[in-house]
Amino acid sequence: MRSLILLCISLIVFSSAFAQDHKHASPNVKLEDINGKKVQLKNWFGKGPVIISFWATWCMPCQEELAEYQKLYNEYKERGVQMLAISIDDEKSAAKVKPFVKSRNYSFTILLDSNSDAAHEFYVHDVPNTFLLDKKGNIVFSHHSYKRGDELELKKNIEELLK
Amino acid sequence: MKLFRTTSAAAICVLFIVSAPVYSQDTTEVKSEINNYLPSGLSLLNQLKYSKDLQNKTDIFEDWLNIDYRYDVFSTGVRLVSFEPKDPTVAGLKRKYTTIDFGYIKADIGDADKGMDITAGNYYAMFGRGLVLKSYEDRNIRIDNNLLGLKAAGRYMGFTLTALIGKPLNLNEKRVDVLHAFDLEYGGFAPVKAGFTFASNQPGTGGGSNTNAASIRVLPSIGNFDFYGEYAVKQNKDQQQEYFNGSRSIIGKAYYGSMNFYYNSFTFSGEYKYYDNFLFGTADNSVNYNTPPSARKDYTFILLNRHPSPLNQNDEQGYQVEANYTVNDGVILSAVYGLTKTLPTGSYFQLVSGTNLQEMTQLKESLVQADVTWSGSLKTTAALAYNEELATNTVNITPVLENRFYFNEINTISLTIEHQQTRSRSTLEHYYEDVFTLEYLRSPDFSVSLVSEIDTHEPEAGRRVRTFWNFIQFGYNIFGHTELSLLLGSRQAGAICIGGVCRYEPEFHGIELKMLTRL
Repeated sequence: MRSLILLCISLIVFSSAFAQDHKHASPNVKLEDINGKKVQLKNWFGKGPVIISFWATWCMPCQEELAEYQKLYNEYKERGVQMLAISIDDEKSAAKVKPFVKSRNYSFTILLDSNSDAAHEFYVHDVPNTFLLDKKGNIVFSHHSYKRGDELELKKNIEELLK
Repeated sequence: MKLFRTTSAAAICVLFIVSAPVYSQDTTEVKSEINNYLPSGLSLLNQLKYSKDLQNKTDIFEDWLNIDYRYDVFSTGVRLVSFEPKDPTVAGLKRKYTTIDFGYIKADIGDADKGMDITAGNYYAMFGRGLVLKSYEDRNIRIDNNLLGLKAAGRYMGFTLTALIGKPLNLNEKRVDVLHAFDLEYGGFAPVKAGFTFASNQPGTGGGSNTNAASIRVLPSIGNFDFYGEYAVKQNKDQQQEYFNGSRSIIGKAYYGSMNFYYNSFTFSGEYKYYDNFLFGTADNSVNYNTPPSARKDYTFILLNRHPSPLNQNDEQGYQVEANYTVNDGVILSAVYGLTKTLPTGSYFQLVSGTNLQEMTQLKESLVQADVTWSGSLKTTAALAYNEELATNTVNITPVLENRFYFNEINTISLTIEHQQTRSRSTLEHYYEDVFTLEYLRSPDFSVSLVSEIDTHEPEAGRRVRTFWNFIQFGYNIFGHTELSLLLGSRQAGAICIGGVCRYEPEFHGIELKMLTRL
């Protein structure tokens, strides 16, 4: 068992030394927004970079992250950057999403993923989890969890896409 | 054993061996210009967990490998699962195995308003708020009640019709019962949405009549108010005959309602539930199809999850109310109160169980919380919770204080102090727990957390017994696609949130390695 683990770690380190983030097409998930309107992700493609943040009302780092993303969105929306926050609140807390969003005055689009269908398609297991899509819908950057400063990495990638 | 190890190793290691050369590039390229050398549409996820519990002398290796492929409107994928041995907290008989436990082919045609999608193979589904059907996977708590069969959904003129047939995997790791279900929802009239669900479980072995569940739901939205209401009933002819001599037309019922109100920065939400003999599952009771809203608060702090109250679809009623007020950019206040009781005499559950018990408080919880941003470099969260819980028969008072210091753009230190006073209503014993969490976070790739918990009991007056739990956890992100986490030490059972990741973990003493790779 130990040798198996060590072997895998060695290979990860080895492969990672030569690897970088890559981009592949985002799944075209279909969800409802907080007003009950059915939407699909590809409707956001073609206009500019799209930030997608998976979050939940009970997740405190998500709240911190969304507050920072609101600032980013305010800064970049005039340049075509769009922002979607996909709540994975399940049946236990789904009722609290809209009040939560209203109390925070978020101006970006909030989508509901109560049974984690979109989360599965994006391979999201824990929140917060952020993806940046180019205007063609390719995932060019992703980040799991939130630490103050993570938004700088996202900002750098947005700037690259806007060049 | 050798075969298993070989298979597991192949599943995980081949992934990385293959990934290394195909991603090899000039590292001076910026991320957004990197080409994808994998075949277009292919994506991979590997989640590995290895733990060595030094106290129980157990090694547990677990790995999930997802491979998915998308082309135009089509997608397909498999999930390879390997365990050695199987985690003892996971239900089921087999002690070790490696197998493909999930596979599907899906076609998704049209758009969000007009179109259809069809899935063959394994799938998940939820209707409404899960009163009748919620099939889902939660790997952190090892729940996976996926169905194997066919699911189709069509959308047209504001209507959405979903129909499915599928078999769940029971405790004997066999798929014998068959679930047939459909859900029709209409959302074409903006202020009100409505839906109807019907589901029927056909026992696979041993015969017996089908168990049917049906519900109707409405979702009106009026001005600053949103409402949700759902009423459901359950039928089983055999049980109706056995318990009521055929005199009743149903064997269980449930209703759930929620209301939201928002005005400027003030919001209020309320939920009400009544679940009477409404567990809907397979004939052998090993798989639940439904998970209705529990009307309980989800917490991120460790001690607030120390006395969780499990949902009982058969025997509970209650409500929860929550208010939030954003005072200004730097101050957010919230308050929650919830009450869950068992059902009164004469309920379907008590009639079927042959009991005559008075209502009891299953859970009473209240919380007030303030989030204050003092400046760009300091943020405080203070919370006070009161909780009465029947499963452990305890009364708990829990104050929490968290301070986050942002000493530059990418470095954060967080100190959280939690204290919980507990009184056992069974033994009349008082005890308390303290948790200190010190975290250093360096964006974007590194975190380290030191968590110390002290459990203090006083079995006799003047004699204190303290138990210590301490662990250190490192988190590191390798090149943006692999997250590593290493834990050393001992950990109490409970829900744990560190570095932004929350999960439930059992009691543990030893070393734990986790790795998540997305390609």
